[in-house]
Amino acid sequence: MLSALSTFLPPLLLLLLWTPLTPTAHGHQPDEQFHEELVVRPLAGDHVNTYFQFTTRWHYGDRNNLFHTQLTPRVIAEILQTYDVKELHISLTQGLWRYESWGYPIVDATGGAELWAWFSASNLTNDAVNKQWMQLANVFSGVLCSSLNFVDNTNSIAPRHIFRPQFMHHAGENGKQFVRYATLPREIVCTENLTPWKKLLPCGSASGLATLLNSGFVHNTKYHSLGVKVRTLCDHDDDNNCIVELTQTANLVYDLKLLEQSNTDFSLRRLFGMGLNGYCELATSSRIYAQRSEQGERFQLVPPPAFNVSSIRGGHRVSYGVYDIQQQFEAAAPDATRLFNIAWIGEKSAGGGRRLAVSALNLPPLYAHRYLLGNGQKRGRIATEIRNTHYEDLPVVLLELVPWYVHAYLHTLRIRNKAQQRREYATDVNDELPFKLLHYAPGKQRELPTHLEIGFVLPAKSSAMITIEVDYLLLKWLEYPPDANHGHYIGAAVISTQLPMGRNYSALPPEAHLFKDSFNASRPSYTLTLRTEALIVSLPTPDFSMPYNVICLACTVVALAFGPIHSVATKLMIVERQTTMPRNLLRKLIHKLKSRWGSKKEEATSVQETATDEKQQQQHEEKEAEQQESVICNEQKQANM
Amino acid sequence: MQNTKMTVKQNMLLKGIVLCIIFIAGCAADHTTLPESFVNAAQQSTHTNNWAVLVDASRFWFNYRHVANVLSIYRSVKRLGIPDSQIILMIADDMACNARNPRPGQVYNNANQHINVYGDDVEVDYRGYEVTVENFVRLLTGRTQNGTARSKKLLSDAGSNVLIYLTGHGGDGFLKFQDSEEITSQELADGIQQMWEKKRYNELFFMVDTCQAASLYEKFTSPNVLAVASSLVGEDSLSHHVDPSIGVYMIDRYTYYALEFLEKVQPFSKRTIGEFLQVCPKRVCISTVGVRKDLYRRDPHKVPITDFFGAIRPTRVSTERINVTLANEEDFVNDVANVQPKKEFKIIMEPQFTAELLK
Repeated sequence: MLSALSTFLPPLLLLLLWTPLTPTAHGHQPDEQFHEELVVRPLAGDHVNTYFQFTTRWHYGDRNNLFHTQLTPRVIAEILQTYDVKELHISLTQGLWRYESWGYPIVDATGGAELWAWFSASNLTNDAVNKQWMQLANVFSGVLCSSLNFVDNTNSIAPRHIFRPQFMHHAGENGKQFVRYATLPREIVCTENLTPWKKLLPCGSASGLATLLNSGFVHNTKYHSLGVKVRTLCDHDDDNNCIVELTQTANLVYDLKLLEQSNTDFSLRRLFGMGLNGYCELATSSRIYAQRSEQGERFQLVPPPAFNVSSIRGGHRVSYGVYDIQQQFEAAAPDATRLFNIAWIGEKSAGGGRRLAVSALNLPPLYAHRYLLGNGQKRGRIATEIRNTHYEDLPVVLLELVPWYVHAYLHTLRIRNKAQQRREYATDVNDELPFKLLHYAPGKQRELPTHLEIGFVLPAKSSAMITIEVDYLLLKWLEYPPDANHGHYIGAAVISTQLPMGRNYSALPPEAHLFKDSFNASRPSYTLTLRTEALIVSLPTPDFSMPYNVICLACTVVALAFGPIHSVATKLMIVERQTTMPRNLLRKLIHKLKSRWGSKKEEATSVQETATDEKQQQQHEEKEAEQQESVICNEQKQANM
Repeated sequence: MQNTKMTVKQNMLLKGIVLCIIFIAGCAADHTTLPESFVNAAQQSTHTNNWAVLVDASRFWFNYRHVANVLSIYRSVKRLGIPDSQIILMIADDMACNARNPRPGQVYNNANQHINVYGDDVEVDYRGYEVTVENFVRLLTGRTQNGTARSKKLLSDAGSNVLIYLTGHGGDGFLKFQDSEEITSQELADGIQQMWEKKRYNELFFMVDTCQAASLYEKFTSPNVLAVASSLVGEDSLSHHVDPSIGVYMIDRYTYYALEFLEKVQPFSKRTIGEFLQVCPKRVCISTVGVRKDLYRRDPHKVPITDFFGAIRPTRVSTERINVTLANEEDFVNDVANVQPKKEFKIIMEPQFTAELLK
C-alpha cells in the first residue's frame, strides 16, 4: 500500500515545497535562487561563442540546513558536509581556445579535465587533505561520468602562487588553507558528461536554456567546455551565516562554416537545432545577452532585444542586447506553442554582398603558446612562449605541472626575452629575465610530479621564451597504456597576470556570481588566467609484439635451416641419364635387360675406382636415407639396385 | 547349447523390458508426486530488481562495431526500464566524439543511420583506460577500491537479476581487454561463483558476442546462470556490414539481430527469453549461436524477456483507504513565512593576484 502511494508522494511533496518559493509570494528575496544566462558573442573568422551559465545560490546559513536541499543538488550539499572543501573548480573541455583571434573566454579551461579545490578547516593536516582530495575526485568521477578517479598524488600538486582563494570563511577560523590542482589532458568529453552535468540543474534538461544543449549540436563545435564551480561564502563575523554558490558553465565555439550555410547569418535554431521552449520555472531570472559590436552594427537581431545594456569596464565598452525569457513567454499568448528563436542577420554592406566578416579583434594584451623542442625519444625541451602586446610591463606567474615520467632539470630553466620587432631571442645569459618568484618541487619517479612556478615581469611589447630541458623515462612494461604509441600528455601550463585595463576581458569579478555583475565592473586591475596547449610526448615505447615476433622469426629460421642441412647430411645426390623407353614390347624387354646389365657394370667400375671401405660406408648411408626419407623417388631406388 | 543361448537372450530382453517399464512408471510417478505449486513456483520469477553490466572491451577506431554492440544492448535495457543507476556501462574507447566520426555525438547500428544507439542521454560509468580486467572483476565481485563512486559499483543483492553482456575480441577461453590484457573463462567463472557465494544475484543472464564466444561460459558452475554466445568454439563471430562513410564495420551480426528483436519488445510484452535465444539462426549469423541452459532451472520459453532486459518495481494496488499523516500545507507556508531573512554580508575577496610579485 505504502509503496504504491510512495510513487505519488514525492511530486506532491515537491509541489508543496516549491509553491512558496516563488519570489512574488514574499517581500524579501528567497534564500535560494537559480539564474540562467546565455551570452552569445560573434567572434572573428565566422565563429560564434555561446556561453551558458547556470547559477544556484543558496544562503543556507547554518551547516545543519545542508540536509534539506531544494534547488542545489544533494551531492553538492553532501560534499560540503563530508569534506572540508570550500571551493572547487572542475572543467571538461574538448578543443583549444584561440586567444589570438577570439580574445579571452569568460571562463578559461584547458583541454581534457582540470580540477582544483581549496580546503580549509581548523586542525586540517596535509595528509587529510590529500585523502579528501582523492575522495572528492572519485565522487565527481561518478557524478560527471568521467575518469577523474585517476587523480592521485602522482599527478596532483599544491600550487603556491597562481591560484588565490575565491571563498570566504569565518574570521575566527584560523585554519590553514590548502589547495590541490590536477589535470587529465587525455580525458574525452562527450554526451556521457553532458547528460549528468545537465542533471545537476534544478530543471534538468526539461525546460529552460538547458534544452538548447543537445548532444548533436554541442559536440560538433570547435571548442566545448563544461564547467562546475562550487564555493562557499561565510560571514567573517558569523560562522553560521553561509552561502553556497554552484555555477555550471558551458562554453561553446561554433564554426559557422561547418554549419553548412552560405552566409554568416545564424540563429539559435541554427546553432542548437531547435528554438527555446520556455524558461525554467524555478529560475529567478532567465536571460539571453547578445553582444553587439563596438564598431558599428554588424548584425541585426530579429526579434529585437527587450533592451540594450552598455557596459564600460576598464575603459572598454561593450553593449549587449538583452532578452528576458520570462517576460517573453509571459507576454506571449498562453496557448502559444511556437519556439522562441533569435536570428542574427548580417547587415548588408555597401557592395551588396551578404557576407560581412567579423573583423579580427586587436591582439589580446597577453597570450601564450607552448611546444616541444628537440628530437628523439630520449630528451627534449619544453618551451613556453608568452607575448605581451601591451604598452606596459606585465607581471606574469607561470605554473608548470610536469608528470613524473618526464624528468625536468631546474638548472636548465631559462627565460629569454625579445622585443616585439626582433626575430630571434637573445642568446646571451645576461639578457635573460630575472625571476621574481621561483617555487620548485622536484618530481619523484612514480610518486610525485614536478611542480614549477615562476614569476617574472614581462617588459612591454616583448615576448618571453621559458625553456626547461627534460628527459623522457623508459617506463615499466605494465605502465604503458593500451595505446602506448599514441604518446603521453604533459598538461597545459597555467599563466596568470594582472591586466591594467579591460580590453578583451570578460571574466566575472571574483565576488560576483552572475554574468550581469560583470557589467560596469571597473576595477583598478583585472586578474587574467589563461592556459597553453597541452603537449604530447612520445616516450621510448618498446615494440610489444617483439617477443612474439622473435619466436616466430627464430622458429622460421630454424625450420628453414634444418630441412636443407638435414637432407644434405643424409641424402646422396645421383645424376641419372634420361632414357626413353621404346614402345615395342620386345625392345622394351631388351632395353630393361640392357639397363640392368649396364648398372651392374657401373657398380663394378665404381668398385674398381673407389676403396672398398668407402663404398660400404656409402651403401650404408644410402640405406639409412632410404629408411628415413619417404620421398625418395623411384629412379633413385632403381639406381641403388 | 543353442537353446540355452536363446533363453539367456530372451531372459535379458525380458529383464530389459521390465526395467524400462518400471523406469517409465517411476518417471510418471515422479511427475505426479511433485506438487503442482512447486513446479509452478520453480518457473516463477523470483527477482526483486534488475541490474545490467555491459562491457565493450575493445579500444581503437576499427573496433567501432563493438561499441555499437554494447550501446545497442544499453539502449534496449534502458528503454525497457532499467535506470541508469542500475546499468554499469564500460566502454573502452570513445567513438561518438572521436575525431574520425563524421557524426559527432552519434553512434549508429546501421549504415542507413536507423538507430542512434548512443542517444542523447547516456551515462558511461567506466571508460577509456578504466576498462580493465581488474576493474571488471572487482565490479562483479563487489570488491571495488575504497572511495569508488556509487555509480561505479554493482550494488546487486540476492534478489537481483543481472544481465552481463560482453563484447570484444576473443579466442578459445579468453576475451581481450583493450588489446593489452585478457580475461580467461576460468576467471570469469570464478568471478560469477563468487557473486553467487556473496548473494549478489538471483539469476544471471550471460551474453557474449565475440569469436569462439561459447568457450567463455564453458567453465561456469554457479547455479541460475543462463548463457548465450554468438559463436561456438572454433567459430568466428562475424560483423554485419560496413559503412563507407566511416570506413569501418558498423556492428556485429549477432547483436544486430538481437537489437532488431529487442526493438520490437515493449515493457509489457509477452516475448520470452526462449525466443530471444533463437534470434540469430545460422543462416543469418553465419556462426552458430551457443546456449548453455544446464545451470538454469527455469524453462527459457516461460521466462519473459523483461526478467533480464526490463526492470520491475514491486507495486501493490490497494482499493482500501490509506491513512498517511502529512504536514498541512499551511505549515509549509508558515514555515517559509516565519523564516527570518538571513543576514546579508559583504563579500570581500582576497587579492586575486599573488602579492609577492607586485612588491
